[in-house]
Amino acid sequence: MIIHVNFLPKPGDTGASEVIASLAGLLDQGRLDGEVLSRLRLHLDWLQYKANFREPITVRHATGARGEPTALAELAIDVRRARPERLGDELAHAIASVGAVEHEVAGRAVLEDWAPLSRSAIWQFNRLFWQRLVDWERQTGRGFEAALPSGRSDANHPAAVADAVADFWTLLVELDKRGQLPQEIFALEIGVGPGTRAGLWLDRFKALDEARATGFYPRLRFLLADYSMPTLDRAHRAVEAHRDVVSTIATDALNPMRALSFLRYKILYVHLTNVYDNLPVDELVRRDGQLYLVETRAYLPEPASTAIAQAFGVGPSEQPATVGRLLEAGPDLFGDRERGVAFWRAVWDGVCLEERLRRLEGIADVPLPPGLDGTDLEELLTTAPADIRFHLSGGAVESFMNTVPLLHPRGYLQVQDIFVATMDEYRQGFRGPGKLDGSVVNWVNGPLLRVVGARAGYDVHFAPFRYRPGSRTTILYTTLRE
Amino acid sequence: MAGQHLTTAVVGSYSMPGWLERAKNDYLRRRITAHDLDEMHDTAVKAAIKDQEVAGIDIVSDGELRRDNMIDYFAMRLPGVEIDRTSKTSYYDFYESVVRGRMPMAPLGLVEHYRFLRRFTDHRTKVSVTGPHSLVKRIRNEHYPSEEAFAMEIARIMNLELRELVRAGAEQIQIDEPYYSGFPEDLPWGVRAVNALVENVDARLSLHVCYGNRYGKPSWEGSYRYLFPAILEARIDQVTLEFARRGSEDLRLFKEFDAPFTLGLGVIDVKTHDVETPAVVAERIREALAILPTERLSVNPDCGLLHLPREIAFAKLCAMVEGTQLVRREISG
Ligand SMILES: C[S@@+](CC[C@H](N)C(=O)[O-])C[C@H]1O[C@@H](n2cnc3c(N)ncnc32)[C@H](O)[C@@H]1O
Repeated sequence: MIIHVNFLPKPGDTGASEVIASLAGLLDQGRLDGEVLSRLRLHLDWLQYKANFREPITVRHATGARGEPTALAELAIDVRRARPERLGDELAHAIASVGAVEHEVAGRAVLEDWAPLSRSAIWQFNRLFWQRLVDWERQTGRGFEAALPSGRSDANHPAAVADAVADFWTLLVELDKRGQLPQEIFALEIGVGPGTRAGLWLDRFKALDEARATGFYPRLRFLLADYSMPTLDRAHRAVEAHRDVVSTIATDALNPMRALSFLRYKILYVHLTNVYDNLPVDELVRRDGQLYLVETRAYLPEPASTAIAQAFGVGPSEQPATVGRLLEAGPDLFGDRERGVAFWRAVWDGVCLEERLRRLEGIADVPLPPGLDGTDLEELLTTAPADIRFHLSGGAVESFMNTVPLLHPRGYLQVQDIFVATMDEYRQGFRGPGKLDGSVVNWVNGPLLRVVGARAGYDVHFAPFRYRPGSRTTILYTTLRE
Repeated sequence: MAGQHLTTAVVGSYSMPGWLERAKNDYLRRRITAHDLDEMHDTAVKAAIKDQEVAGIDIVSDGELRRDNMIDYFAMRLPGVEIDRTSKTSYYDFYESVVRGRMPMAPLGLVEHYRFLRRFTDHRTKVSVTGPHSLVKRIRNEHYPSEEAFAMEIARIMNLELRELVRAGAEQIQIDEPYYSGFPEDLPWGVRAVNALVENVDARLSLHVCYGNRYGKPSWEGSYRYLFPAILEARIDQVTLEFARRGSEDLRLFKEFDAPFTLGLGVIDVKTHDVETPAVVAERIREALAILPTERLSVNPDCGLLHLPREIAFAKLCAMVEGTQLVRREISG
């Protein structure tokens, strides 16, 4: 057995001793096959997102490239939530499923078929959340920001906004000096949320411009972009004072070029906060020199499924279809929107992801997002830990690749988000997916964006967000690669 | 015959195959030998020539597929330039290069690659070289008192090579100076350097000035107005400019100024994968014909096709030729 401790434990809280003791106990009692144990990989995690898609103890099977069962199996334990007194039985229960072909756990309502994580229904839930934010918030009685770990968004930190404005203004002055400042000065924020940052940024920019008498503000064209109409409406109201220089654009962050191609090479500044972490992602795993793609399927564990059946009169066997309707048509279920939203929230609260590892025969089988070259991924892997599970941040890569063509030759992209800075960091903790209110949150693979950026002609840098102590935010910014 | 006008040509580079990129990187990382890479270069060049011929291009190039980028191919050949071979692991990056003393005269060895091109095509051919202004922007100068002095020295050395090319049969030589657009204030000496470069070079000479194509994107924005009137002093036969991506507004500069050279009109946007239709190409040519007579106009893409996938590069060249033929037919009535 190989034990992976996937977090930086503080003294006394690995939880490892209880787990090992329980396993040894099972072995002694003849409830654990020595064969199984010898091939097992035990993962001890400490899940950062309290709300997530995992049960405290989970088993992952690995399959060959054609789906055939293989000997590799992983037992993953969230030591933050696993309860020592029940560990023995729960481990025995989980281990009983190791090696079983097509094992179905009784009582679960399975909501979808196996597919790579990026195609899971959880992304439909995520989209639904942003499209129907108003309904959700009416019922919860609180705004999205209240769900953030710090209770507010780093997007709106006044000092960070002031610095961002100052950098931008300096660029404009330099371009102006060289006679290269375009008549119309385009700036773009994608994934604007309530528009708070945009408002702060515009106030600040206007004030600076007026104080220095540079005359840039009237030439500014600030675009607010989001794929959620209610969000755009709300954000537009938040920047009412700047209406002469602001427009809103409905656009998917995955491909801003589609709506904005007329601005190719024209935008001087593009900003996103906490959007990359909200875009679909895949995960790759390397074990014993073999590469695997994580496949998942969403399910409701028995307690959640039973509770939903009782509360909404939708039995476990009908749950997949009802959830399908919810994801397709929104929460106007049961002829009663409030009840529909309650159902939505209950399902989201309970939903988990079952995982399996599908072996890939080589790099060419990796579902590479456009812009990521297989040889670059191979290169990244040569410097990465031999045993690793990491994000293939396909959504972020796609968004990046479809955003940079909008940049003016001297323009830059700035992204505030939770980035993993080196492949090595993947040893040190669970990086999502987690649930944040009704949305999905995930760390973003920084090294991947670095190689993708280099191919597109940008050096990608990461600076710590030094404005709030303890913040996990990092600021990605691009500079031109000469 | 009207067909003699509106000659079609490439600017220089052709689509770089992914496998060749990988091979170039493998070579840098000592995974394959120079011999293997040379063989792949030869094969890729032959394929690039064939594509241009089949598309119907009048003046073809070797696709510049042997070059890592527009600087290193020359920096590595210029005598007296020291190259730090450890300074890059990706072929498209620039080497760290420096000149620390007076540069000696010596051949660059471009003739051999020209002969290869000549042997594999019956079409007219073009050889492109990066101009002195662009080279001094990337090679560190620790010897000459000014950028201009450095550029004049490079011009003097490369002048010999251009004459060698002519002796070997080269009829069309193009000088690429994309960095003009980033440093318009350098133009007066930039043009002097070009004139030194082409002195007594008995070929048809063109000067290509664009807004950059590094990584397939522009490096600068602005108007070609900065070129005038300084460019009028250049002793060249043609300037090759980009108009497809940037629009035709700057064409009027040729109305305002009585240029002593002809125009190589960029009619293909090399920075988008959208393939122009022949009708669009024809319209772009007609717009230029409203300002310049046919005999002062030839047709080319905005810039090199390096960053486009092969099938798109090829389709764009085909569209360019068909669009040109549409206009030729209109002219010949
Ligand atoms: C987590 S919120 C961040 C809001 C704000 N930037 C902040 O940091 O406070 C994510 C925002 O991105 C938007 N969003 C998520 N996915 C998107 C996509 N694919 N296309 C466009 N907008 C998206 C959501 O509607 C929402 O406004």
